[in-house]
Amino acid sequence: MELGKKLHSYSLSEIKECQQNRFPMLFVDRITEAVPGEYAKGFKNFSYNEWFFPTHYEDDPNVPGFIQVEALVQVFLMTFLTLDEYRGMKTSFVSIDKVKFRKKIIPGDKLEMTAELKSFRRGIASGLVTSSVDGSDAASAEFVVCIPEILSSFKPSN
Amino acid sequence: MSTIEQYNRSFIDTFSVQVEMLHDLKYQDVPDWDSVGHMSLMSILEDEFKIEMDIDDIIDFSSYETGKAILRKYGVEL
Repeated sequence: MELGKKLHSYSLSEIKECQQNRFPMLFVDRITEAVPGEYAKGFKNFSYNEWFFPTHYEDDPNVPGFIQVEALVQVFLMTFLTLDEYRGMKTSFVSIDKVKFRKKIIPGDKLEMTAELKSFRRGIASGLVTSSVDGSDAASAEFVVCIPEILSSFKPSN
Repeated sequence: MSTIEQYNRSFIDTFSVQVEMLHDLKYQDVPDWDSVGHMSLMSILEDEFKIEMDIDDIIDFSSYETGKAILRKYGVEL
């Protein structure tokens, strides 16, 4: 981190002020470190009480891939929805690339995620998120996400 | 590559259109030129011609031909 940049952390209630995802689709417990407009680090603890474990799968509970991707992107959102002017806005996926799943995530695992914002211009954010469990690489992906409310303000009237 | 070729290439790559379609192409004429596609095109043109467009010009940029006139304001001769 460059000198002079202020580090932030966000509790669950503060995360909910920044993004509109809610139970049962909120998959980040805490942001431990972030510089708005640059990066965010956070985690999600997956206990057996998660709603999907009893069915995915009954004899081999593990976190579905789409939920891992959702957890990654929710940490990514915290790189720019933590900026005052965008706080709490709804977002949409534009693209997801280079998704890799390197580890099965099971009840009791703590998924630690690091998101880097590569660019953020006029409501379109792109960046990379990596993750790990107990120091072993887990899922990673590149995202492009937009804020429709911001895009609307640049739309040609046509 | 000439500036008009750069300009055309930006549209062709962003919206997956043929060069023959460009002359009459307007915002929302093809599925890819939606609000997200519009922002992508603006970013590509800004990078390509090393300019930064005003908000009003981004909103006014409603067709291939209108875009030419707007880019001339930034010294891009097409």
